Amino acid sequence: MEKKVLEVLEEYCEEALDYTGDNMMEEGVIDSFTVINVVSELEDVFDIEIDAKYVVAENFRNKEAIIELVRQLVED
Amino acid sequence: MQFLSTDFVILWVISFALYYLAPKKRQWMILAVASGLFYVAGTGGIPVGIILTGAGAYGCGIYLARSLEAQKKALSDIAEKERKKAVKQGFERRRRRVQILYFVYSVGILLCTKYMVVLLPFLQMLGLAMPGSDAFFARVVMPLGISFYTLTAIGYVVDVGREQCKAQENPVRLFLFLAYFPAITQGPFNRYAKLQDEFEREHVFDYERMLFGVQRFVWGAFKKLVIADRINLFVGSVFGSVNGGLPGSIYALATVLYMLQLYADFSGYMDMALGISETFDITLSENFKRPYFSRSVAEFWRRWHITLGTWFKDYVMFSFVMSGTGRKIGKAAKKKMPRMGKHVTGIIGTMLVWLLTGMWHGRTASYLLWGVYYGVIMCISLVLESQYSIWKEKLHIKAGKVYGFFTMARTWIIVFVADVLIRSEGLSQAGEIYRAFFADFRLKEGILSVTDYGLNRYGFLLLAVACLLWLAVSVWEEKGKDVRRTIAGSPVALRWCCYYGVALLLLITGIYGGSYDTAAFLYQSF
Repeated sequence: MEKKVLEVLEEYCEEALDYTGDNMMEEGVIDSFTVINVVSELEDVFDIEIDAKYVVAENFRNKEAIIELVRQLVED
Repeated sequence: MQFLSTDFVILWVISFALYYLAPKKRQWMILAVASGLFYVAGTGGIPVGIILTGAGAYGCGIYLARSLEAQKKALSDIAEKERKKAVKQGFERRRRRVQILYFVYSVGILLCTKYMVVLLPFLQMLGLAMPGSDAFFARVVMPLGISFYTLTAIGYVVDVGREQCKAQENPVRLFLFLAYFPAITQGPFNRYAKLQDEFEREHVFDYERMLFGVQRFVWGAFKKLVIADRINLFVGSVFGSVNGGLPGSIYALATVLYMLQLYADFSGYMDMALGISETFDITLSENFKRPYFSRSVAEFWRRWHITLGTWFKDYVMFSFVMSGTGRKIGKAAKKKMPRMGKHVTGIIGTMLVWLLTGMWHGRTASYLLWGVYYGVIMCISLVLESQYSIWKEKLHIKAGKVYGFFTMARTWIIVFVADVLIRSEGLSQAGEIYRAFFADFRLKEGILSVTDYGLNRYGFLLLAVACLLWLAVSVWEEKGKDVRRTIAGSPVALRWCCYYGVALLLLITGIYGGSYDTAAFLYQSF
C-alpha cells in the first residue's frame, strides 16, 4: 500500500517525496490544486472515499501522514 | 471604537490590568466583557447581528454534538456492516441538512444587512421606508465586523460537524470566540479549536511578552500612520481626480503606491491586533508573510490574508470537490477527457473560491472581475505547472537570483493590474487608466508634476525613508530572523535608539487628524 501511495505522490507532487518537514500544505510544497488531484487519484487506486473532513493540514503534513490516512480509511 | 483612539487605549489598559489580577480560571470573562464593550461602543447600538448569528451557531453546535453522540451509540448496537453504513448515512444526512440551514441563515443575515444599507435610501425615495431609517440601520443594526464573524461562525459549525472540535456548551464562551475584540473588525479568522485552547489556558503576566506586544502594536501604527496614510494623500488625489486625463506615468506610480498602501494598512492593522492579543498571552494566527517576496501568484495568496485563503480553501473548495456533486463532475470529466479531466473539479473549485473572494471584498462589478481575473490566472498557472520545468530546461533557464527576481517582478505586475481594478472609481475609470499606461504615458510630464497630487517632495522623502526601514525589517524577517528578539538582545543604547527612533518617527511624521480620518482602515470596507 505504501508503495502505491508513493507512486501517486511521485506522479502529482514529486517534491513531497523529498520533503522532511511537517507542514507541507502551509510551506507550499503541496498546493490545494495538487491536494485535489492526489485525493482523487488515491480514491481511484484504493477504492475509498476521502471526505473533506480528512483533507486538513494535519493529514497532509508529510508523505508519512498521507500513508497513515490512507491506511486508516482502507481499514475502515 | 478604533484601535487608534483614546477610548480604545483606556479599554485595553483597564482590561489588561484586570485580566492579570483576576483568578486564572476567570480570565476569559474579562476578555468577554472587554469584547462586549468594544462591540457595543463600536456600533453605538444593539449587537443584533452577532446575537442572531451567534445564537444560531450555538444551537447548531449543540445539535451536531448530540447527533454525533447518538450516532456513536446507535452504531455500537449494530453488528451488520451494511446496516451500520445505512444508519451512519442517515445521521450524516440530517447533520448536513442542519449545517446547510445554518449556512443559509447566517449568510442571509449577512446579505440582508450588507445590502439593506444600499437598499434603504431607494425605499425611502419610494416612500416605503421611514425617513432616517438608513442612518438608524447603519448606526444601530449594521453590525461591526459582520463579514468576519459570519465566516468564523460558519467555520465553527462545520468544524463541530467534522469532529474537529467539541461544541461549546457555554454561550458566553462562544460569544468570546466570535467577538474577541482584537480580531473582530478585520480578522485574522480564527479556528475554534486553536483559539479555545488559548482562552482556556491560565495566563501569567510576563514583562517581556507585554513589551513585545506593545512594540508590535506601535510597529503596526507606524505602518498605518506613517506609510499607508501618507500614501493615501497621493493615491486619493490621483484616483479621485474628477476630470481624469492624467498622465499614465502618474497613474502607474499611484497604483504602485496603492499596492504598498493596501499592504501597509492591512498588515499594520494585523500587527496591532496580534500585538494587543500578545499582551493578553493569546496567540492569533499570522495573516501576512511578506507577500511581495512571492515568486508566483499562488504563493502571493498563500502569504496575503492567509486566514481568509485557508478558510475558503477548507470550507468552500474542499467541501465542493469532495461533495457528491464534485465527485460526479470529476468522474465524468475524467472519462471524457483522460488527460485534462483530472483538473476539472480543481478548476471549478478555484473559480468558485475566487468569485466568492471577489464578492466578499466588494459589491461592485470591479470586485467580481477582480475575482475572475485571479481565478483564471490561478487555474492557468496550476494546470501548466508541470510544463514549467520542461520549458525552463528547453530555454536553458537556471534557478538563481536573476530568475528569482524575474518571478517576483512577474508577480508584482499581475497584482498591479488587479489593483487598478479595485482602486479605480468604477470600470470606466479602470479602462481609462489601462489605456493611459499604453497610449498616454507622458513620463516627463509625470515626473515634473509628481508633487502636484497631495504629497510634496518632503512627503515623498519621508515615505521613502519609512519604506526603506520597512523593507529592511522585511528582508531580515524573510531570512528567518526574529527582529524583536534581536533588538531586545542588542546593547542598551542601540536597543533604545531603535525604540525611540520608531516612536519619534511615528509621533512626528504620522498623518494625524485634520480632514483625514486616521481611524478608517482600508480592509474595514471589504
